[in-house]
Amino acid sequence: MSTEGRPAPSRILLRVRAQLQFLRSSIAGPWSLLAPTVVFFVIAFLIPIGLMISFSVYRQSASGALEPGMTLANYTRLFSVDLYRKAMLTTLRVSVLTTIFCAILAYPLAMLMARGSDFVRRSLTIIVIAPMLINVVVRSYVWRIILANGDAGILNWSLGQLGLGQMRIIYTEWAIIIGSVHFFLSTMVLPLAAAIARIDPSVEEAARTLGATAAQVFRRVTLPLSVPGLAAGSALVFSLTASSFVLPALLGGNFAKMLGPLIQEQILSVFDWPFGAALATALIATVLIANFISIGLVERRYRAKAKGAA
Amino acid sequence: MASAKLGAAAVPLYILSTVIVLFLLVPLVLPFVLSVSDTPFVTFPPRGFTLQWYWIVLKERDFTDSLQLSLILGALTAVGAMLLGTPAAIGLVRYKFAGRDVIQSLLLSPLIFPALVTGIALLRFFSSIGSQNAFANLLIGHVLVTIPYVVRTVSASLLQLDPAIEEVARTLGANRLMTFWWITRPQIMPGLFAGGIFAFVTSFDNYAISMWLFDAANVPLPLTMFSLISRMFDPGIAAIASLMIVLSLVLVLLVERIAGLQRAMNM
Repeated sequence: MSTEGRPAPSRILLRVRAQLQFLRSSIAGPWSLLAPTVVFFVIAFLIPIGLMISFSVYRQSASGALEPGMTLANYTRLFSVDLYRKAMLTTLRVSVLTTIFCAILAYPLAMLMARGSDFVRRSLTIIVIAPMLINVVVRSYVWRIILANGDAGILNWSLGQLGLGQMRIIYTEWAIIIGSVHFFLSTMVLPLAAAIARIDPSVEEAARTLGATAAQVFRRVTLPLSVPGLAAGSALVFSLTASSFVLPALLGGNFAKMLGPLIQEQILSVFDWPFGAALATALIATVLIANFISIGLVERRYRAKAKGAA
Repeated sequence: MASAKLGAAAVPLYILSTVIVLFLLVPLVLPFVLSVSDTPFVTFPPRGFTLQWYWIVLKERDFTDSLQLSLILGALTAVGAMLLGTPAAIGLVRYKFAGRDVIQSLLLSPLIFPALVTGIALLRFFSSIGSQNAFANLLIGHVLVTIPYVVRTVSASLLQLDPAIEEVARTLGANRLMTFWWITRPQIMPGLFAGGIFAFVTSFDNYAISMWLFDAANVPLPLTMFSLISRMFDPGIAAIASLMIVLSLVLVLLVERIAGLQRAMNM
């Protein structure tokens, strides 16, 4: 009996040991490395955001106490009160226009970064990345001085010197757009340059050899093939512009109010937490939708390509 | 030759790019020009030449206190982000496992998630658990939003390192810790360093998180600058702006020298 039973436990043991080894290599390995960071993210990121979103359906009593309970009043207020609806629309308009202008300005730089000589690529990389690290407050301050009204503003002073009259830009949506394009241009250039660098230069060359003009090569070859980079960059620029605070606060003031300053006001001055949380949740939704659209664009491109190949 | 790859587009491309580069760079030179004006208000064109504003701001308590706080906060943030980001990057790059994509998206999500909202969520969270130490709250918030930079730069370095080299070390009898210290660590140092610098700068420049978590005794520099801009109109502000631009540029060049910017940015 004992001789018969012997092979069985050892086989089980072997299997157990193999399974343990599999566990150690496939689960214990990465998870022991990832666990502290993931736990940190759950506690300091996922839970706080979940709590904040849940606040957006709370009621706030006159005394300021929060009462749990489901209400969509905070959301209906966002769409029914003129001031808030206007802030929402301003946010969308400024973010969309900033993204479009960034894309237009980013293409020339990205193409040179991807296709230029080593020297051009190296210097452009520094020129594009260095400003990214310069503080948003510093950059808003600079644009305040450039765009200020009257002779105090450098732009208006220059226009005056040229006898071209004056412009009112500061504290309008355009001031926010100009400052944001300047601030987020690099964010657009980097993914775009990476996408263009992945295009085989011989494809563009083939188009040229076959007689395409420079504009045609760009429109028919470079532009469609760089869509992944364009989509990634646009999603980033849109999200960052929509959720910015300093640029709209310093350049738009009270006349062109975006969601960021509005949320700050609701929470830090009015102490209306539920409504502030609803505004913040609306901001999250806006950013998520923009990112889904960007992912969708890239996927549709690839599906179209796959169909074309078949 | 560059023009061979660009064809007839080369000349207009270079002209356009020059204009765009000027748009990008000229505003960043402006604070230097304005900061030397010998006038009580910022004026353009500047009049006279003086460096007195630099001395004046360096003696301004609001500025020096905030500068000191932001330097310490930035340094601790960089250390925290490197400690939490490096093992995570190794786990993500060196192992295949179920849920890997989800974890990677989670760890990179603060890059695209509105930081403003992260800040509000943290403020609410800290007040509900009764954490009133503003410095600790700021540090946690800053580490959270800078971990993605370290994960990205360290991942980029790891992808360039052949895993076979690590396997050889393991086969030759090195344990995991020894392999990390003698093989992996030297290889990922440039990426780790770049990630640390980005974490420091991001913390040093952060506004969207700090604006919710600061208190009267812990005001990071960007917040102080913001309030100075609204109540001070002398060239001292331009001097502070110039100092901050110089600091950013020094750090960029440091990353470029040690890690190579293009590599560090994961391109």
